Amino acid sequence: MLQCIFLLSDSGEVMLEKQLTGHRVDRSICDWFWNQAITQGDSFKALSVIASPTHYLFQVVREGITFLACTQVEMPPLMGIELLCRVADVLSDYLGELNEDVIKDNFIIVYELLDEMIDNGFPLTTEPNILREMIAPPNIVSKVLSVVTGNNSNVIDTLPGATASSIPWRTADTKYANNEVYVDLVEELDAIINRDGVMVKCEICGEVQVNSHLTGLPDLTLSFANPSILDDVRFHPCVRFRPWESHQILSFVPPDGQFKLMSYRVKKLKSTPIYVKPQLTSDAGTCRISMLVGIRNDPGKTIDSITVQFQLPPCILSADLTSNHGTVDILANKICSWSIGRIPKDKAPSLSGTLVLETGLERLHVFPTFQVSFKIMGVALSGLQIDKLDLKNIPSNRLYKGFRALTRAGEFEVRS
Amino acid sequence: MFPQLGATAETLSKASTLVFRIGTDAHLYDDPDDVSISPLLDSRFDSDIIDALKRLLALTAQGFDASNFFPQVVKNVASHSLQVKKLVYLYLLHYAEKRPNEALLSINCFQKDLGDPNPLVRAWALRAMAGIRLHVISPLVLVAVGKCARDPSVYVRKCAANALPKLHDLRQEEHASAIEEIVGILLNDHSPGVVGAAAAAFASVCPTRQGLVKESIMFSLHCAGSFHSEKDSSDANFSLGGQTGDIDGTYYSELSNMVSMCYVERPDEYLSRSSYTNRDFFELNGAQFTSGKSNDDVKILLRCTSPLLWSNNSAVVLAAAGVHWIMAAIEDVKRIVKPLLFIMRSSNASKYVVLCNIQVFAKAMPSLFAPYYEDFFICTSDAYEIKALKLEILSSIATDSSFSFIFKEFQDYIRSPDRRFAAAAVAAIGLCAQRLPKMANTCMEGLLALIRQDFLTNDFESVDGEAGVLVHGIMSIKSIIKEEPTSHEKVIIQLVRSLDSIKVPAARAMIIWIVGEYGTLGEIIPRMLTTVLKYLALCFASEALETKLQIINTTVKVLLSAKGEDVWTLKRIVSYVLELALCDLNYDVRDRARLAENLLSWNLGSRGLEEEADCLPQHKDLPRLLAEHIFQGQTKPLSLEPINYRVYLPGSLSQIVLHAAPGYEPLPKPCTLPCDDFGQFSNAALREGGSNNDSYATDNSDTLSGSLDEESASDYGSRHSAADSSGTGGSDETSSASDADNKVDPLIQISDSVDACENQNVISQTDSADLGDLMSKKTLESWLDEQPGISDLSLSEQSQLRRSSARISIGNIVSRVKPKMHTLVDPTNGDGLKVVYSFSSETSTVSPLLICVELFFENCSTQSISEVTLVDEEPNKASVSADLALDTTESFITKNDVPTLVPMEEITSLEPGKTCKRILQVHFHHHLLPLKLTLYSSGKRIPVKLWPDIGYFVKPFPMDIEFFTDTESHLPGMFEYNRRCIFTDHIGELTKDKGDSLIIKDKFLIICESLALKMLSNANLFLISVDMPVAAVLDDATGMRLRFSSEILSNSIPCLITITLEGKCSEPLNLSIKVNCEETVFGLNLLNRVANFLADPSVSHL
Repeated sequence: MLQCIFLLSDSGEVMLEKQLTGHRVDRSICDWFWNQAITQGDSFKALSVIASPTHYLFQVVREGITFLACTQVEMPPLMGIELLCRVADVLSDYLGELNEDVIKDNFIIVYELLDEMIDNGFPLTTEPNILREMIAPPNIVSKVLSVVTGNNSNVIDTLPGATASSIPWRTADTKYANNEVYVDLVEELDAIINRDGVMVKCEICGEVQVNSHLTGLPDLTLSFANPSILDDVRFHPCVRFRPWESHQILSFVPPDGQFKLMSYRVKKLKSTPIYVKPQLTSDAGTCRISMLVGIRNDPGKTIDSITVQFQLPPCILSADLTSNHGTVDILANKICSWSIGRIPKDKAPSLSGTLVLETGLERLHVFPTFQVSFKIMGVALSGLQIDKLDLKNIPSNRLYKGFRALTRAGEFEVRS
Repeated sequence: MFPQLGATAETLSKASTLVFRIGTDAHLYDDPDDVSISPLLDSRFDSDIIDALKRLLALTAQGFDASNFFPQVVKNVASHSLQVKKLVYLYLLHYAEKRPNEALLSINCFQKDLGDPNPLVRAWALRAMAGIRLHVISPLVLVAVGKCARDPSVYVRKCAANALPKLHDLRQEEHASAIEEIVGILLNDHSPGVVGAAAAAFASVCPTRQGLVKESIMFSLHCAGSFHSEKDSSDANFSLGGQTGDIDGTYYSELSNMVSMCYVERPDEYLSRSSYTNRDFFELNGAQFTSGKSNDDVKILLRCTSPLLWSNNSAVVLAAAGVHWIMAAIEDVKRIVKPLLFIMRSSNASKYVVLCNIQVFAKAMPSLFAPYYEDFFICTSDAYEIKALKLEILSSIATDSSFSFIFKEFQDYIRSPDRRFAAAAVAAIGLCAQRLPKMANTCMEGLLALIRQDFLTNDFESVDGEAGVLVHGIMSIKSIIKEEPTSHEKVIIQLVRSLDSIKVPAARAMIIWIVGEYGTLGEIIPRMLTTVLKYLALCFASEALETKLQIINTTVKVLLSAKGEDVWTLKRIVSYVLELALCDLNYDVRDRARLAENLLSWNLGSRGLEEEADCLPQHKDLPRLLAEHIFQGQTKPLSLEPINYRVYLPGSLSQIVLHAAPGYEPLPKPCTLPCDDFGQFSNAALREGGSNNDSYATDNSDTLSGSLDEESASDYGSRHSAADSSGTGGSDETSSASDADNKVDPLIQISDSVDACENQNVISQTDSADLGDLMSKKTLESWLDEQPGISDLSLSEQSQLRRSSARISIGNIVSRVKPKMHTLVDPTNGDGLKVVYSFSSETSTVSPLLICVELFFENCSTQSISEVTLVDEEPNKASVSADLALDTTESFITKNDVPTLVPMEEITSLEPGKTCKRILQVHFHHHLLPLKLTLYSSGKRIPVKLWPDIGYFVKPFPMDIEFFTDTESHLPGMFEYNRRCIFTDHIGELTKDKGDSLIIKDKFLIICESLALKMLSNANLFLISVDMPVAAVLDDATGMRLRFSSEILSNSIPCLITITLEGKCSEPLNLSIKVNCEETVFGLNLLNRVANFLADPSVSHL
């Protein structure tokens, strides 16, 4: 049972407080929290459950905004965290983005949403589709209307039908002239290459994202050509379990608009599409660095926006880095970023330079880790293929189906 | 129309600076009070009211107090615009507790809205009404919830379910059974969303009433089962939808499923799983394996919860995993592993919680996670806490086969620029080596290589993290050596060799300790000892504190175990070291040296020759034995896990914070299930199995209402039999009944005889005769000696209680009462003037409305302070607030002519260190807000706040017990308020008394004394009587009852307080506090105050 929710800006200002139960929480708890956050630094953000002297706190940080919830009694911490995440999702969906100004500007909507989503510390209405019907999101038309007419109500008068429906995620009656459904495979590659250049871990975390604009109550069936490669799956509540258990088919009534149908994991991949080979040799107070990047395993499509980032160890005083392709920037906090873009046909991009160590330090004994990011359009690296998508219950024949795939780097790390 | 246009123009002009903010509420947030709000609130136009309400909410959001507008806002609750309603509710719920009297004005509107055809309006009205939290209206709310629980709209029913915890939170015992009944109704709802909310309500309202949920569990399981397995239509996702529709609905029902299943099914497997922390859990698995198989209901539960492991919501996955962990057979538990690892990747916020839980699972059953070690490999982007958790998991799941990979990773981590993390990685290597003795050599080599490399760099001063890595490295080596000292002789020699180059004191100290501990090991080490000790003695002076201490220890240890020709050299080294140490700057070192010197006096020989001569020969060995015992005692093998390692339910908050959070309930032990419940359940379950869902509903309601009837009947019976209808009356009876059933017959006879008896003396005589072995005669006599002459047990009382009780008086208690001191000014703020105040029990001579406050002025500074006086800050404000009080509540009849403050006599001068006492008479106007006063001292002006204490708004009202019961019986129903709290003060007293054996005081006496003392020290009351349970078990204070009386200062309305105890003497006692008073608001406030100070453990009030 959550007792109170605070929204904190990135400077620690309490932008909003919403008391949820009769047991009021004083906002001085935020001061305590912010002091801790300042003294303990970045690692404090990873502590999503904090025991303060008076309350247990749950924190979720999204784009600088801290969502802080307090409780004094035992409750499942993940429930609190998931609820906060959902609040953050809904708010950023409503407001288009999340930042201090946008929350302050729309504080009434934030209040109304919080009130509707949480009742007495328990979740009440959390389905975005229903919320959208109950509380109108701010848009240009409503803004202009409110200025011109002075009528600034954004609360609807009747209860949305979906609250009583057995499929609460779907708006009751939707009508489209063109029925469209788009299926995207979005994959992230996680890989770790250790100091010896051996790949110790390589796996894909993927999502099936669907964007549906369909009339009525459509019933969709999606099947994969090779479902056996999936190591583990998680579904949107609309997916029926039984067909998946027996035939590994996704059968569902989709929500309206964009949603995440399923996430999956494919483990033990053989290789990464690109290689990054860093080499560091240090001697007599300096360290020579050279790094080669190239295509190891051509996925068939162009690999885009390749970037290699690494944090210079604290014992390095200055760095002089040059590359034969792309640009090298040294950002704040000694973060070094080499953006390559696409790999040219004629040469292999390489970066070289020297790092000057602290005085008195003969050679480097700590080594940076290189984080690689890239993007490949049109390919799902896991090899997962969509076989077909069947639609039932569609009144008109005008139907468009679209499929796309995208792979990008997740936690792709190369140690040196 | 026109004023609207004006407002629009203003909006436009304001917004013109930032075009994109047009139409948002930005300007309202930025300056909410740039226009006068109250005329807007009174406006006829909804848009004006909305504007004003938004401004008020903006004030609230920014932490300003906007409660002044409460009356005007409440008026708008009757508006027909839903937007206005919503905003009014938001405001109302935020401030209702501050302004309870005005909040009452809105009740009529809510009542009307509850009959509205629009379900949204009904739901909102219910939510607001339940959220207001006023004890007075709780009967109305209860009726409303009951009505809404049968509402046709799902949404309204869901809100009704959510309203139940709010009602329960008011802690009104008389509604408990009604609330439980509604929970029962809602649990049987056919909509999953409602069932989810009802399950949440169940968990917070009455988690112990398994009877209530068992049918609905079967129902939800069945429908979950059928939906998932048989029907293949769109409603297949019915129950699943509930789960994410409101995020955690099913999650909660899962939890309650689990708890009740454990009760019902007497799962031996639960116990065995929870005892995983024991080393030998593998044997237990065997037993549990079979029982898990044989149980059909558990099977159904597991089958229905396993699809939840595919949920998108990490909370649901973790809860389902928890169910499997507790209930499933060993080979089925495996299926939770992959989902758990997968949700770890889902979001950063939940990662920490998931890892904490995995850590517990992995510690209990490393084999589960052993094949998935790759998932715990660490990324640089992880925060330190995450990294540390992953390291710990890795070190506990490493196996002989996977160790080479993990070790390779660890070696990489040591190179990480994050040195804290590198140190943790080194420590993890040590842990692995202890878990896997076969791999110890690999670890040792790696660690030695690390130390050699690290001291080559030699820059510990410049990088502080480096020292940590080294210390952890040596610590790990030490722990590996400890496992098998004989095979690591060469390692010790290497360490000693490196001693010269290692500069970190902690690391040096550890190596020196190793030398002392394993000095006798093998062949080579003893030979090099003298050289090493010489070296240590040489550099003793330049060492750090911990190293010095360790050098003293080690030299003494070596000397004690030395043999042969070395002894002479060693003796000289030791005396040299001790000589140095005795002159050390640090007293710890000097003390240690002195201790060592005295212990070794027999050995060192240079001193203490005379004493030696005096000693008898057989005593000669004594110091030697002592020294050997101290310095060469065997070190106990350390356990792998920390000693205070505790295990809580998976997925609970307590699990993360590692202490039992308030409200945490561990799974009950099997076999605590009441027999009748079990029988009923198995019947229901059998019926369930055969019948389909339709016939089920009717069956179910029958059994449910049946059981409920029984329950409420017993409650009712107890209530109307006793004049005091506190819940403990019922429990008293049941406990005495169960006593009678289970135990010896004489108990019943006693209570019979008590019933028959009319004379108190006879009672106590029979008691003392019959209870000879139950209760020591001495304690009883101590009561009898103090038998009061004031009152006798009235006949009516006796027949009501149906159990014997004795009455005692605590004569000298009043003299021991010391009122609590509050600080008004502390010396830092008051330029050395310290002012404390306490409320005096005397009543004012000027007016009955005034309260006497004793002020103690103390001069803590070095200069004398002159002209100290305390005056009211705003003399004219008094009449205003008095008017206000008149307006709002008629009962607060205040006389305007009474001043707020009767000024105190001025203190002309106060010498340093002197204390001066003054009496101040204050009129608080019955407000519980502090009074702002100004203190003048030496011409300086210090604003102070005098906090009122409602306990002193009353004065003692002496009466006898008959009059008390008579008055009490005239104040039933809504003039009676109950609260419960836990009292712990007496425990300290009891344990304190254990110490001195001279005075054996009776436990009961101590309890009443501490309780009465606490009451009288915190409120101005009159103690009428103390009732004592006689027929009780020796250590059971249940039934003890204290009565206090008082009357309200301003209007002389009597106010009665009864406290009934429950529980064992030596444990925290459950108190049930009852206040009877005509003045409802005052009574409630007094009750809250009493409950608060009783529950608040005081350090000492003597």
